[in-house]
Amino acid sequence: MSEVDMAVIKPEMMKSYIWLQTADGSIQQVEQEVAMFCPMICHEVIQKGMGSSKNYAISLPQRVNPAMLSLILDYCRFHQVPGRSNKERKSFDEKFIRMDTKRLCELTSAADSLQLKPLVDLTSRALARIIEGKSPEEIREIFHLPDDLTEEEKLEPLKNTTDDPRIRLLNRLYAKKRKELKERQKLKNIEVEEERVDDRSVDDLLSFINGDNGDSKGIKNSKSKKKNRRRKDQQKNTSANEAIKNHNKEPNGLNQVCRSAEVGQKVRAGVGATSNLHDVGDDIFDNKNELDDVDIDDEIDPALKEKIDREVEDFARRLNSDWPERMQEILSFGHERKPVHFSLNGNGSLRRYANSEQR
Amino acid sequence: MSIVIKQREPSRLPSKTDAEFDRISNLPGHVIDQILSRLPIRDAVRSSVLSRKWRYKWATIPCLVFDNHCFNFSSQDQSFIKNKLVNIIDHVLLLHNGPIHKFKLSHRDLLGVTDIDRWILCISRSSIKEVVLEIWKGQRYKPPSCLFKCQNLVHLELFNCLLKPPLMFKGFQNLKSLDLQHITITQDVFEKLISSCPSLERLTLMNFTGVTNLIIDAPNLQFFDIGGIFEDVSFLNTVHLSLVSIGLYVNIDNEENDARDNSSKLLRFFVNLPHIRRLEIQSYFLKYLAMGYVPSRLPNLCVDLNHLSIRIDFDDLEENTAALCLLRSCPNLQELEMLARSEEQSSMERSTNFWEDDHWSSLFAHLRLVKVSGISGVKSEMDFIKFLLSNSPVLEQLTVKPASQEGEWELMKELLRFRRASIYAEVIYLDP
Repeated sequence: MSEVDMAVIKPEMMKSYIWLQTADGSIQQVEQEVAMFCPMICHEVIQKGMGSSKNYAISLPQRVNPAMLSLILDYCRFHQVPGRSNKERKSFDEKFIRMDTKRLCELTSAADSLQLKPLVDLTSRALARIIEGKSPEEIREIFHLPDDLTEEEKLEPLKNTTDDPRIRLLNRLYAKKRKELKERQKLKNIEVEEERVDDRSVDDLLSFINGDNGDSKGIKNSKSKKKNRRRKDQQKNTSANEAIKNHNKEPNGLNQVCRSAEVGQKVRAGVGATSNLHDVGDDIFDNKNELDDVDIDDEIDPALKEKIDREVEDFARRLNSDWPERMQEILSFGHERKPVHFSLNGNGSLRRYANSEQR
Repeated sequence: MSIVIKQREPSRLPSKTDAEFDRISNLPGHVIDQILSRLPIRDAVRSSVLSRKWRYKWATIPCLVFDNHCFNFSSQDQSFIKNKLVNIIDHVLLLHNGPIHKFKLSHRDLLGVTDIDRWILCISRSSIKEVVLEIWKGQRYKPPSCLFKCQNLVHLELFNCLLKPPLMFKGFQNLKSLDLQHITITQDVFEKLISSCPSLERLTLMNFTGVTNLIIDAPNLQFFDIGGIFEDVSFLNTVHLSLVSIGLYVNIDNEENDARDNSSKLLRFFVNLPHIRRLEIQSYFLKYLAMGYVPSRLPNLCVDLNHLSIRIDFDDLEENTAALCLLRSCPNLQELEMLARSEEQSSMERSTNFWEDDHWSSLFAHLRLVKVSGISGVKSEMDFIKFLLSNSPVLEQLTVKPASQEGEWELMKELLRFRRASIYAEVIYLDP
């Protein structure tokens, strides 16, 4: 067709247009192939026959304002051309996405309401890139988010994947509060707890010792002793545990000693040192959970710490000196048990090994 | 005169002005999911402290990726890192709320078997579609049987695992892509697995133990990539297979096999690959194909084959014969890549030219791009290049890359001299 002919024929007949109306009422016409790139518009045209004239303009969702519409149409206009290479499309996308964050969010919203998935993917990736690696304050700044979490919500142990020092501190404070509550609870429930523990150990004892009745009295004594000890030691609970944890190296087999100390304790009663040890052993068992679920970063009062250190060293030394004889006595009661030998390490602490591994 | 009293700005309250400017928090849920899914898991979960609205937005993200990039640990203590990692993954899975579509676990630190079992159990309950499990340290990990009950699985990728599905396993009905590397699997389990996944389109198999005969029965398979040690490969019912890359990582001894089997491996290989488009023959696979009888040309030409890559020992007569058969059987070949394999015991340099310029005129009618690499300038290699240049009328580019700097100059001088059938041909020499 010659140019003249083309001028005579109305442009609308050469190229078909779709009529679109945005939420503010303004109507515009867009080339068909460009508009049909949006699934939502496509659906309206095909299923409902809308958009063919001004009166039947397709009303776009509210999230699409004229500025966003023109951006989206630019995107469609480029990408609907089939012949472009992947490289070209990619570089267009890179340039296209350069806009301020506010517009980016609006564009995402508009593209989503038109169901234009490739554009939503592109903008979400851009938004993710903006968010990645930034601190919460920076993100709030960029996106104008209100800092409106209440104090208690902030106190809840948030999953601290970031090592954000603020969250770590909050977690610690909260954990401390929880611990205090628990300890107060414990003080109340001590009587009940102790009964239970003692009963179990008595049973074990009877079966282990095979009919040694002479010690029940001893146990009773130790129980009362324990109760008093507990009250006094309540404040030092976790600190003591910590001290023991820290001193694990020094008395090498301290844990083992403690465990077997329980046995020793139940058999031999009335010796000051061992009852103290029993307390600590109990504490280790009962408070194990607490140790695990809290970041123990607590600063212990240095004076208290020294006192505890000294105490621990003290009875560890005492144990090591007369422990072997005591163990032999204990073990001579239990015939079924495999004989376990204790020997002294170079530094004076105990080492336990089974029969087969004798030196 | 009016006195203007400047009012002090009120302190930053969560006022409605903020709400006006906050465009992101009110985006639809699935869009936020998309944004958060593209962040490393650490950043995604951190979003819970941004504001009240964002507290639980992360909990619906459909894909969870736990790999080396998602955590930064300052400590070097192994057990500390491991405990922290286990703790974090447990927390995330526990606090997550909604379907999980993709789960990737690929951390270089050793994780406990029971932990991984537990996590797989958790995700198997939530219509998982993609699972990527890379066990970097330790023995082959055996996934629990609950993994094999995930019927929504579309992509499964395992590294360093031992596959032993439960007896009741009837296959993955929706599995389209399977990627198994460094795995142990028995022969029948493998066959059953492949044949019971009817939708399988992509199969990758590298460094496997326990399977010697690869019998591939997959009607929808399009992409096939294997590398490992095996004795036999046969395709049954693979009409759509268009991309095949095979590497045989062990040098086979021809004398042993000659007596046993005289049938043609080459013929058997191609009998069920009518629509193959891209073929890569790596490592010693050409030697395998050269076993038995090698025809001068395949009975059914591979008309769709337009990219061929072969690793070949130019001094080996059988391999050259097999290569020639292949080259004659793909009339529409556009891209060719020949990678020279240098053997420790160099075979005798033959004085005859295998690639004698006889009647190959219609051989390379569509060949445009050729790449020859790993050569060292021996006669057999140069014969091939000469032959190629003088028989490819539409050649656009020949790239030559030697294996080392030895004899570079001689090689280049010879190259310069060769006749070229195509006036557009560029001969590009790359440094080793």
